[in-house]
Amino acid sequence: MEEETDLANFALDYATTKGVSYAEARYEHQEQENFILKNGVLDALYVGQDRGVGVRVLVNGALGFAATNLRTKADVRAIVDDAIKVAKASRRKTKITFAHEDAIEMNWSIPEQRKLADVPVEEKIAEVQSVDRDLMALGLKIPARYFQFSDNRIVKYFANSEGSRIRSYSPRLRVLYFLTVAQDGQVEQTYRNYGWSGGWEGIAAWDLGKRVIDEARSMQRSLVEGKKSPEGKMDLVAGPQVAGIASHESCGHPTEADRVLGREASQAGKSFIPPDGIGMRVGSEVVNVVDDPTVEHAIAYYRTDDEGVKARRRYLYKEGRVTEFLQNRETAAAMHTRSNGAARAVNYNVEAIVRMANTFVEPKDHSVEELLEDVKFGVYMKSFMEWNIDDKRYNAKYAGREAYLVENGEVKHPVRNTIIELTTPAFWSAVDAVGKDLDFEAGFCGKSDPGQALDASMGGPTIRLRNVYLR
Amino acid sequence: MEDVSSRIVEKAISLGCQDAIADVITNRSYQIRFAQNEAVISNRWRESTASVFFVYDKRVLASDIKDLTQLDAAVERLVKIAKASQKNPDYAGIAKGPFRYARVRPDPKVLSLDEGGKYVEAAISGATDQGAKECAGSFWKYEDEHFLATSNGVEAHDHRASLYLSIRALVSLESSGHGIACATKLSQFHPEKAGGKAGRIATLARSPKPGKAGRYTVVFDPLIFGSLTDQTGGRLGAWTVMAGLSPFGKKVGKKVASSQLTLYDDGSAESIARKRFDAEGVPTRRNVLVNKGVLKTYLHNTSTAKKSRTKTTGNAGLVSPDPHAIFVKPGDRSRDEIFAEVKDGLWLTNTWYTRYQSYVTGDLSTIPRDGIFHIQKGDVVEAWKDIRLTDNLLHLLKNIEALGDEPEQMMWWGEVSIPNFVPYARIKDVGITRSAE
Repeated sequence: MEEETDLANFALDYATTKGVSYAEARYEHQEQENFILKNGVLDALYVGQDRGVGVRVLVNGALGFAATNLRTKADVRAIVDDAIKVAKASRRKTKITFAHEDAIEMNWSIPEQRKLADVPVEEKIAEVQSVDRDLMALGLKIPARYFQFSDNRIVKYFANSEGSRIRSYSPRLRVLYFLTVAQDGQVEQTYRNYGWSGGWEGIAAWDLGKRVIDEARSMQRSLVEGKKSPEGKMDLVAGPQVAGIASHESCGHPTEADRVLGREASQAGKSFIPPDGIGMRVGSEVVNVVDDPTVEHAIAYYRTDDEGVKARRRYLYKEGRVTEFLQNRETAAAMHTRSNGAARAVNYNVEAIVRMANTFVEPKDHSVEELLEDVKFGVYMKSFMEWNIDDKRYNAKYAGREAYLVENGEVKHPVRNTIIELTTPAFWSAVDAVGKDLDFEAGFCGKSDPGQALDASMGGPTIRLRNVYLR
Repeated sequence: MEDVSSRIVEKAISLGCQDAIADVITNRSYQIRFAQNEAVISNRWRESTASVFFVYDKRVLASDIKDLTQLDAAVERLVKIAKASQKNPDYAGIAKGPFRYARVRPDPKVLSLDEGGKYVEAAISGATDQGAKECAGSFWKYEDEHFLATSNGVEAHDHRASLYLSIRALVSLESSGHGIACATKLSQFHPEKAGGKAGRIATLARSPKPGKAGRYTVVFDPLIFGSLTDQTGGRLGAWTVMAGLSPFGKKVGKKVASSQLTLYDDGSAESIARKRFDAEGVPTRRNVLVNKGVLKTYLHNTSTAKKSRTKTTGNAGLVSPDPHAIFVKPGDRSRDEIFAEVKDGLWLTNTWYTRYQSYVTGDLSTIPRDGIFHIQKGDVVEAWKDIRLTDNLLHLLKNIEALGDEPEQMMWWGEVSIPNFVPYARIKDVGITRSAE
């Protein structure tokens, strides 16, 4: 028997002899390559292999979790004892329960046209260096630039005391970059992040070189031709990157059930949506925002979550109303519903909690040109740099990176640092049209303690907002 | 474990590496997360990792070896990968040991602590006694041991243990407060005080009104001032400056803050991040970063120091230098005096989500959370909500008017990423914005 099944099944067998009402074991093996190219120099290559077992038990209505990378049966037995001991010490007054799920047995993997493991690290470095060389060949003044490449090959085996047994394999690829372009004492900075589930073919699918060069040129143009962004109420045409971050921050996070129930109150915060907020109006009738782990090649693709629940598309906002919370089995039981497969952990050594996967505005049928053509006066913001949102997910800010003035349907000169600072309902209620040019970028979604910076993607098509305050 | 570190280093050198570092770390930490006034999960870890750094002909490779049972094979694989990598012309070696280290040991009472429930209950009681309805947070017992060996003569050991509790107390969704307790000695761990503070702020923040945009004199509670100093310390690593991620580039010797501010990094001082040595084995020490408003140095490892023609500050991480623990030299004002001198301003108690429009200029915004108060003539007149601090890091530092005389150790969930010892601070002309409806 292979190590993963052997150790995980051993943990379960041992836990069930100890009187737990539920137990699960997650074995995970991650193999990573990661490097930073800073100002053209390969700073350091990081190569990591991490594997271990995490065990979660439910005892007397309390949860205990323990993990180890010491892969002997004695150590696995010790973490089961640890998990039971800390659970028993919890002395909860209200009992935690899990929503029902049928046991499943499943093997799934994400196909790779060219396996990441078969690509020599020299080739990976050369690929990013060629993008960097093309960038420098533009002749722009770029005083600081860095590219970070990472790939991660994740093998998981999940087993629980209800009979679920699931194996999976997820290869993931990510490139993020940060550029500083200078001109006449002014600087413009950008940060972009691309992710992929699959093999090395993801590099070609991104067309990274073109994206980087287009970005640098737009930064230069903004520095040379950019003017102060207009202030006041006007129309806003927001590109996929802006629609994506707004989907993630003001639709995905506030519909996380653990946040709604207060489990994250001390860290990532709570939600402006109350537990009985299904049906609450947040946006206009053209706004559909979904979270979907089954988007092929998106970096947060999965078919079963880390509690062994099958993944499916979730409509967070439909026709502008809150439709569904993201649930794991614990929150689903508390809300008298079923899990929708949103439990994820960043590795074997932390508990699985409610997380977004790939969150986006569902596209409709307008072209970008159609969205722009009847804007009399406004801003077309294609991308952002600074952003944040409060911990109840109500007050958000997105500061423009690439943005242009729009007059009578025509895109004019660049405008610099356009600020969108709106409440969540003000933003989504102003949307009157949704485009069809769906695009995604990757991100790291932060939550929980210990912090779990998890692979996520966010996106959307271009959307149009009417008569919003910008400055 | 000393043997393991040395074996890794010897193996790497035997395979042709010029420099090698191995830090074998055992983690035995324990945590209780709580919400809605009771534990939601308790966690324990049993982990051992060798963090390694190999250099073959200026080809730099870092890794974490998690399987310590097959070391030779792991090292052989990593060195093979290093040989296929590319040279880093900026690489300039690691520190030459051996070094002498301060003798420090963890508190035996912290080491033997096996159950944290009563500290969680004490914190929750502290908050509910003040009127809080709902509490959430984390209790941590951190414990790890480091066994470090380098190819430049370092063999060192450090056993670290500390206690930490973070509590957010809520009266309602928009009325909350936050408290922190940190200690390396059990006798100095006071979660009930952290709970009490969180509860007092939450109660005071009842029925908040929408805030008003403008420029204000602001009293920063230690937790939010810690966020500001954490940003400052984090932007002073030489690697960060070189990557274009700092507003402090080319500013050594220049005024970057009010003369009120003296700031230093000190990994050797008592804190929950105290460590005897950095990742190269260099003894940690106090490094004055900002003296009376003037920037004195960046934080360095051996490579960044050589590039900058200076010496390492003992802040090496495996790849880039980072601060260990930030200390603000206390000012001369009592807490009451800090408040009393505000005619019309704000008191902010916590923040999160600090983000930059430009790291080079320092333009940023951050979202105050928990108690936000309008103060007049030193007294709270109203609780506010829904505001954003929109300003510039250098502008904020230069406008520090007064510092309190009692620094507190703050660390909190990413926003204050390492211990920051910070007092109350008063900063003038702080930009406040708010969302349009």
